[in-house]
Amino acid sequence: MLGFLGPNGAGKTTAMRTVFGLVNPDRGTVTWNGREIGPEERMRFGYMPESRGLYPKMKVADQLTYFGRLHGMDSREAAKAANELLNRLGLADRALDQTEKLSHGNQQRVQLAAALVNEPELLVLDEPFSGLDPIGVSTLAEVLAERAERGAAVIFSSHQLDLVEDLCEDVVIIRQGQVVQTGAVEKIKDASPVRHLEIELADGLAPGLDGLEEFVSAREGNRIYLQVPADLDVRPLMSGALATGSVRRFVYTTPSLSEIFLQAVK
Amino acid sequence: MTNLWLVTRRELRERGRSKGFIISSVLTVAILLGIILIPQALGGDAATFEIGAVGEGNEQIVEAARQFEAGLAADEETEPDIFEVTEFSTAQEGEDFLRRGDIEVLLIDGSSAVIAQQGFGGNELVERLQRAAGASRLQALMAENEQVASEVVEVLSNDPLEVRSLSGPGSDNAESSVIAYAGLVLLYIAILTYGNTVLTGVTEEKNNRVVEVLLATLQPWQMLGGKVLGIGILGLAQFALTMAAAFAAIRITGAVSLPAFDLETVGVLVLWFLIGFAIYAALYAAAGSLTSRTEDAQSAALPMTMLAVVGFFVSFSVLDDPASLVARITTFIPFTAAFVVPIRNSLGAISWAEHALAVVVAVGAIVLLVLLAARIYAGGLLRFGGRVRIKEAWRTGD
Repeated sequence: MLGFLGPNGAGKTTAMRTVFGLVNPDRGTVTWNGREIGPEERMRFGYMPESRGLYPKMKVADQLTYFGRLHGMDSREAAKAANELLNRLGLADRALDQTEKLSHGNQQRVQLAAALVNEPELLVLDEPFSGLDPIGVSTLAEVLAERAERGAAVIFSSHQLDLVEDLCEDVVIIRQGQVVQTGAVEKIKDASPVRHLEIELADGLAPGLDGLEEFVSAREGNRIYLQVPADLDVRPLMSGALATGSVRRFVYTTPSLSEIFLQAVK
Repeated sequence: MTNLWLVTRRELRERGRSKGFIISSVLTVAILLGIILIPQALGGDAATFEIGAVGEGNEQIVEAARQFEAGLAADEETEPDIFEVTEFSTAQEGEDFLRRGDIEVLLIDGSSAVIAQQGFGGNELVERLQRAAGASRLQALMAENEQVASEVVEVLSNDPLEVRSLSGPGSDNAESSVIAYAGLVLLYIAILTYGNTVLTGVTEEKNNRVVEVLLATLQPWQMLGGKVLGIGILGLAQFALTMAAAFAAIRITGAVSLPAFDLETVGVLVLWFLIGFAIYAALYAAAGSLTSRTEDAQSAALPMTMLAVVGFFVSFSVLDDPASLVARITTFIPFTAAFVVPIRNSLGAISWAEHALAVVVAVGAIVLLVLLAARIYAGGLLRFGGRVRIKEAWRTGD
């Protein structure tokens, strides 16, 4: 699962559209398994565009069956896949309703189902989480994880970076059409030149910071936050804190994806 | 091809069972049957004309009018209209009756007639009396020879000239122009209606953004072609249903005497419906792809609608003179041919060679227009917001 990140206007939607031939790239080609993508490949892809689009008057199940058939399934296969998806997404009782009668969140689930109905080997989702409530987000996340588990490649863009951090193994960060960061989430985080440090001791005690004062970013009661260079050896600090005999908290971490993102697109 | 059929099938299923389509089908048939059957139900009874008379010499005129009517009614096997005469002593008195609407015409001394108002298109009763007055004058002039006198009215009540058309039998009666005219109106309504359905269908897909999902697997020409085909088939079905109902009603009631069920005329109408629809639908689809809002769609389609209106009015002049230069030229202009050719055909005023050439020109135009429209369509579909310029759509449509 790949998180596709970038500030507004960076070119995420445009890049995703080139996969489906909706926009022709000025330069370069889009390939899948080493081959340039054509209509045949696209039959095995699934796409959820940023601007949601469904036929408002069509019945939910008919709509999904239709999209399945457009992806080369025969009518029985498509109907079966549509039914299974509606069950999975908790919409089985709405199958015969017109799409426009559904709530916004439910329509979004149908939109997702439309992208999933042909069991795609590549799933491209543009902002799939925007506008969903926490339950919707977790259902969608589960479904995507399932598909990834079953071997599908999933690419999605999102501004909810915590979610991306939880879900994705890899991320790409772009800015003004250029890739500025790419790789496994953990590796990118490890490669960051900074680390976060949080120390909290019992009341009335303070750790000996020994010349690290310049790295302190905030203080909150007994808690001290520091942002230190990645190559700083924190062991002396840790043993110093332990020596006081009352460490309540000692956290040493890489920065969050949000911070890396902000740093990367600055 | 599979995709083209899938798009067509979706249009057929979703539109075919929509309330709008069912209601409009039922309404069209009902309205057409009403037009045919209501005059039939109301007519049949003889009309009664109230005539006022002052002075001498009026009786002969009314008597001649009665004789004419009797002859006419005998020909058409209907009840003769009734002429009732009320005598007045003064013109003043008669005019009062006229003003109150108790009588329709006041005859004075067998030499003048007074009516309440001059209406548009003249007064039927006055025309009849006019003709009757002429006949009774002649009758009086020839009073010396009684045998001649009695024949005058009979001679005048028939058209003495027999009219024959060079283009052969079946084309010299008013009925074929009735069919041509009715077919023309239906064609015009059908092309505009279903063309507009294509227009709004395309704009709606753009408006609700479903195009982006569709274009991920469909080619623009498949979307365009499937939509036009689907709506075309539905339109033809509705058109055929309406025509069948109309023909059945006419045959059962004999409202208009049809020349034996004319398969050729109907076949030509259907052929030109398909051609006309394909031409206009391609243009409407291209126009629809340039706008994202249904409100803008109509204005984008205005040039097309104007073309159809022009074609429609041109065909009226063709109805008057199906062999004129205008008729010949517009036969080969694809936008007007669909209206002009069926008329010329049902009036028997087009040769097979000319007809065949017109079909070839129109079909060639369809191919060109579909290619052109598909490119504009491809370029217009993914541009949202306001109106897309045709030039812009053309450039990116490749």
